[in-house]
Amino acid sequence: MPLDAEIYGHKEAITPSLAASTALHTALVLCVLFLPGMLSHSGENWGNNGSGGEPGGAMSAHLVSGIPLPPNPQAKPENVLANESKGLSQSVPAPRAKEDDKAIAIPDRQTKVKPAKEKAATTVPGRELPKQKPAIATPTHEQPHEMAKVNNTVPFGAGGPVAGPYTSFQSGSTAGGLKFGEGGNGTFGSRFGWYTDAVARKVHQAWQSEVNPSISSAKRVYILFDISRSGTPSNVRIEQSSGIPALDISAVRTLQRIDTFGPLPREYNGSYVSVEFWFDYRR
Amino acid sequence: MKRFVALAAVLFALVLPALSQDWIRTGTGVGGEKIRLAVADFKAPSAEAAALDKTFNAVLFNDLYQAGIFDMVSKSFYPLAAIGAPADVHLDAWGAPPPNAAMLAFGNLAVSVGTLQVQGWLFDVKNQQNPQVLAKQYRESATDENARLIAHRFADEIIFRLGGGLSGIAETKIYFVSARTGHKEVWAMDYDGAGQHAITRLGSISLEPRVSPDNSRVAFASFFKGGPNIAMWSLELGRLVQFPSFGGTTLSPAWSSDGTRIAFSSSRSGDPEIYVCDQNGNNLKRLTAYHGPDVSPVWNPKTNAQIAWVSGRTGLPQIYIMDSDGTNVQRITEQGYAVSPSWSPNGQFLTFAWVRHYGPGAPGASDIYLMDVASRQWVQLTHDGGRNDFPSWSPDGRHIVYQSTRGGGEQIWSMLADGSQQTQLTFGGSNSQPNWSWK
Repeated sequence: MPLDAEIYGHKEAITPSLAASTALHTALVLCVLFLPGMLSHSGENWGNNGSGGEPGGAMSAHLVSGIPLPPNPQAKPENVLANESKGLSQSVPAPRAKEDDKAIAIPDRQTKVKPAKEKAATTVPGRELPKQKPAIATPTHEQPHEMAKVNNTVPFGAGGPVAGPYTSFQSGSTAGGLKFGEGGNGTFGSRFGWYTDAVARKVHQAWQSEVNPSISSAKRVYILFDISRSGTPSNVRIEQSSGIPALDISAVRTLQRIDTFGPLPREYNGSYVSVEFWFDYRR
Repeated sequence: MKRFVALAAVLFALVLPALSQDWIRTGTGVGGEKIRLAVADFKAPSAEAAALDKTFNAVLFNDLYQAGIFDMVSKSFYPLAAIGAPADVHLDAWGAPPPNAAMLAFGNLAVSVGTLQVQGWLFDVKNQQNPQVLAKQYRESATDENARLIAHRFADEIIFRLGGGLSGIAETKIYFVSARTGHKEVWAMDYDGAGQHAITRLGSISLEPRVSPDNSRVAFASFFKGGPNIAMWSLELGRLVQFPSFGGTTLSPAWSSDGTRIAFSSSRSGDPEIYVCDQNGNNLKRLTAYHGPDVSPVWNPKTNAQIAWVSGRTGLPQIYIMDSDGTNVQRITEQGYAVSPSWSPNGQFLTFAWVRHYGPGAPGASDIYLMDVASRQWVQLTHDGGRNDFPSWSPDGRHIVYQSTRGGGEQIWSMLADGSQQTQLTFGGSNSQPNWSWK
């Protein structure tokens, strides 16, 4: 009996097993890579330890926004008392470029150019020369070096909100605006700017987007509603859809979430005010 | 081989959809900016009015600051010229830096023949053509208390106009339990801690006072006649009024927002359960029937169709909600030790005291939390400040009052409902279990 048995002689076909093992390990590696991400997005994790969520997570912004409080003011890096800005009304004009003496002036399109032969017309005795038309001044696009001082300019820092029928707000990826139009002479916004601001603030606080975050932008949606004398919003309807139902519904629900804007100013005589509310969605 | 490939395919099928379903409800409504408000000291021409004027100015400024919706302009930025009437106002000076105010409140205060007269205005500084938003005149007998009262009223008017129709809380009261006389009695104070005074003088133990929505009665748990039972105190008559005894340990009364019903906890059947009765004690109805203590009910004040309460049916106390007929029971908290729920006036939030990690050596303490009832998302409002318990909402939904031991003994504190502007209201003795009035 030979002592050395042929143990290396037997060759097993390992190719299928190797391929299967490789595939399984690849799958496992992928699972390990993606599983934490999958678990972290499983919903219902707010104080809900039983459903697999991790307690102690952060909160989303809209939770506190349900409280009728404005957010805490964000620190402004700019010191309004020690600002080197020249202000909005006194911008410094750019230095005028030196004109090239050899440059040929390009006539303006409005200027009528007379034919050259007219210039060569000779004087005929007994006949008066046709009257020369006064030269048309070529309009120039040069700006005066010093800006004219206008009384309605707003000095830096004293602007504040525009007291008009329009008002708007912006926050992160969202922006919205209001336009007041009422049965009277259309001066509601300018007379009661404090009220339009209050309406904008309240709509802003009540806004909760239910739009799929994969949507990066949408057309502007227009919502119409009325505010009665008691301040109750009513008759909420979509004037122009954004084409994204979730955005339209979010906008309508925002108005439905508001009980009152406060009574209309006593000095206003109309029975209600119509408001057009637009909303832009950009992400 | 085919088996492994199939397994891998199944794993991919499980992983990929989970990644693509990352659907979140984005919150972008973070509110507009606060209104920048300047409040010029009211002009008091006579020396007689000067003392009252000092009180008035301090209370008015504090009320508007506590409202939580204004960015108050520091008084050091104000123009030096005193203003007492619209003719004195130079809008440009107030609208430009440094005050850069958007709104300006001002007025005058005079005393004549024992009568205090106050005229107040609110101007929109940026609106040169029509600056006047509000003009008010008040007349009361000339006392320090009335100077405070008028300041509260004028502040509430401003908050109502500029706060989107939500009334201010400057005239509201806070009821609480104080042991400063040696017995636990029901006390009351203004929302800012002023005017603290005893309501009951029973010489017994009174707990968990709850004022009725019309501010006419206070229901509380009392040991006055033996075991703890619900007692009813008339604020108009200044004495106890009739309320039936249900037997057992009867605690934690809670008014519905329409004032017609009272929910409470009673062990009359042996086990503490939640009951509901009419405001006079009739039509008793039991809502819970499960082994384990059920206590501290509160109504959803927006609808009166739901009740939140504390139940120990699964061990440690947790917050539950149910419909007001006892159906549709849902557990709100899933861990720790959660007690003392209070439902916000708009029905959206519950606030409660929660020890999230309960047990020996566990980190954290009893803190006040806020939870969105629909989404169950929560946020912690107090941090690292002793034991905090018994939160109660203000009627405007912007404030919460609670008890805390952060300063040593038990005292009453208030804060904005986002956890900011925490203010201590009581300082003497032991004060606990606050309840904010409805108006």
